[in-house]
Amino acid sequence: MQNRFLPYLLTLPSLFLAAVVIFWPVWDLIQISTHEVSRFGQLRDFNDFANFAALAADPDFTAALWRTGQWTVMVVGGALLLSIPVAMILNTDFYGRGIARVIIMLPWAVSLTMTAVVWRWALSGESGMLNSALIGLGLIDHNIQWLASAETAFPMQVLIGILVTVPFTTTIFLGGLSSIPDDLYEAAALEGATPLQQFREITFPLLKPFINIAIVLNTIYVFNSFPIIWVMTQGGPANSTDILVTHLYKLAFRIGKLGEASAVSLVMFAILLVFTMIYVRLAMREQRT
Amino acid sequence: MSLAKWTVGLMAGMSTLAIAAQADAGEVRVTVAEYSAKTAPYFADVKKEFEAANPGITVKFEVVPWDVLLQKLTTDITAGTNADLSIIGTRWLIDFVQQDVAEPLDGYIKPDFKDRFIDTFLSPSIMDGKTYGLPIAASARAMYYNKELFEKADIAKPPATWTELQDDARKIKALGSGTFGFGLQGKEIETDVYYYYAMWSQGTEILNKDGTSGLSTPGALEAAKLYKSMIDEGLTEPGVTSNNREDVQNLFKQGKVGMMITAPFLSNQIKDEAPNLKYGVAAIPAGPTGARGTYGVTDSIIMFKNSKNKDEAWKLLDFLFTTEQRAKFTQGEGFLPVNKEEAKMDYYVNNADLAAFTALLPDARFAPVIPGWEEVAQITSDAMQKIYLGGDPEAGLKDAAAKANAVLKK
Repeated sequence: MQNRFLPYLLTLPSLFLAAVVIFWPVWDLIQISTHEVSRFGQLRDFNDFANFAALAADPDFTAALWRTGQWTVMVVGGALLLSIPVAMILNTDFYGRGIARVIIMLPWAVSLTMTAVVWRWALSGESGMLNSALIGLGLIDHNIQWLASAETAFPMQVLIGILVTVPFTTTIFLGGLSSIPDDLYEAAALEGATPLQQFREITFPLLKPFINIAIVLNTIYVFNSFPIIWVMTQGGPANSTDILVTHLYKLAFRIGKLGEASAVSLVMFAILLVFTMIYVRLAMREQRT
Repeated sequence: MSLAKWTVGLMAGMSTLAIAAQADAGEVRVTVAEYSAKTAPYFADVKKEFEAANPGITVKFEVVPWDVLLQKLTTDITAGTNADLSIIGTRWLIDFVQQDVAEPLDGYIKPDFKDRFIDTFLSPSIMDGKTYGLPIAASARAMYYNKELFEKADIAKPPATWTELQDDARKIKALGSGTFGFGLQGKEIETDVYYYYAMWSQGTEILNKDGTSGLSTPGALEAAKLYKSMIDEGLTEPGVTSNNREDVQNLFKQGKVGMMITAPFLSNQIKDEAPNLKYGVAAIPAGPTGARGTYGVTDSIIMFKNSKNKDEAWKLLDFLFTTEQRAKFTQGEGFLPVNKEEAKMDYYVNNADLAAFTALLPDARFAPVIPGWEEVAQITSDAMQKIYLGGDPEAGLKDAAAKANAVLKK
């Protein structure tokens, strides 16, 4: 009897905390998004999901939704691809490894907003560092206006997104790599396995749970990441670099449509919830077999 | 520790919190916008002087960057934790009045107090015959030009019309060496306003007489075509849509831009950051019929309806709008005087830059007082960005006008 209820009893405090921190705001959002709401958040009448209908009819919202998908896949994918080799190099023993690790981790220590501000300056068309560096190296002969249009601005934002996601991902992988016993590699080497075979047969499979964690956590962070895009382009020009969070911010605090903004944030919440549930289930099934 | 003791401790803790959250009697909280690095020190001085003169009243200024001011006010008001007074953009005032959060000040305003103000700047804060705010900051826009570049390009005087401006820009472009004729702003706040300068000179207003959007008129199209042709011809700085107002101002300070339209505070910045730059301030160019328009802006300080210390708050307002305080604030920030006595001071009378701005005031347009104005401005900015990036002006404006009309109809 006691055994059956004890786990629930023990999770009760954290459940209570979660309720206060998560469920209550979500409930509030549901309220705001399904009612007519004044400029300053006073609720009026229930409005038959007009806010959601307005979103569906808004081409800017659908464009931002699609772009958020691209943004998340590219940043998370890019960071994973980059972090695995970086973590493997940092895991080997070489002179100055300590310093190399610090350098990789440094972007993590700087606030995201500050990083974005610095990059905004660096990418400035007429006085930006990147342009003068590229001209100095003879790679281009005239200034590129990086942030003037989405064709150049969005790829740069993705690259910066990858850059700031790498430290966290590398840290997860370093933890994973250090849990792989060395004798596995020694045995494999004795059997004549090439480094590529060692990676495919030993490193990658044993790293898989860590990759799963990195994918779930990074997807949640990147999907919701506001500063890089906001600081550099505010989602512009003409909403062409908007992702859902920046679209939401403009709806809520520029234009004052709190109802529609709440609807956007519920849509985001639902997408992340479904993604996490599907992914965790897939990953867990894989682990069991 | 027993459960009872815990409960007592918790209750005690919560009650102290409750007491702390309640406003002290005689405390006036004010949310102010941070206009520059001089804003916070100015209000710190105000606090000192005002509290010394009014024992029993404490003042608490919350200095908030402009970009997040509306966001902070929205969340504060929603949560009911707003201050007693706040600076707001006067173009937001209608929302505050309609939502019934702003207190009319007519009960406090004596005729001699009202008489302190220049009417042009007080009138935007008056709605339905009631004064809801006092103009704490006022500004207008005029054209800055680089005298050195003008001399080099053999241009005798600043352009009076947009056609002349195009010619002058061509001459400056011909100088080469990374100089651009006309600085065109294409990003962030006031991107729409930069377009209105050209639009107003075509005799088109933001709103037609029947209240619909002016964007679908021939004048609006002419203006958009003018800017687009200047971009295509290379008369503006490259990458227009990556440059906000500060970026264009920086290019001007570096001597790279021949002409740009902006606010008087650029003079203060040039004095501090580029004291050797030779520049002049002139009127905004006129259109073919001689029409011209500049953008007038005021920020108002308002009192909230739910304030518990209205009398004390009013005393502070009275203090802030004395000639001496106004002069200190306005001159520090580089705004225009809103106070009649202040405008007569030598500082303004003998200042050629400011004289150019005040001369334009008869042509000043303020943002229309309509609900949903921010959305219409956003629609216009987006449309302009698309056109600056190479989109078709006619289709872009038609689309924007339809969107704006849908907002205006509500």
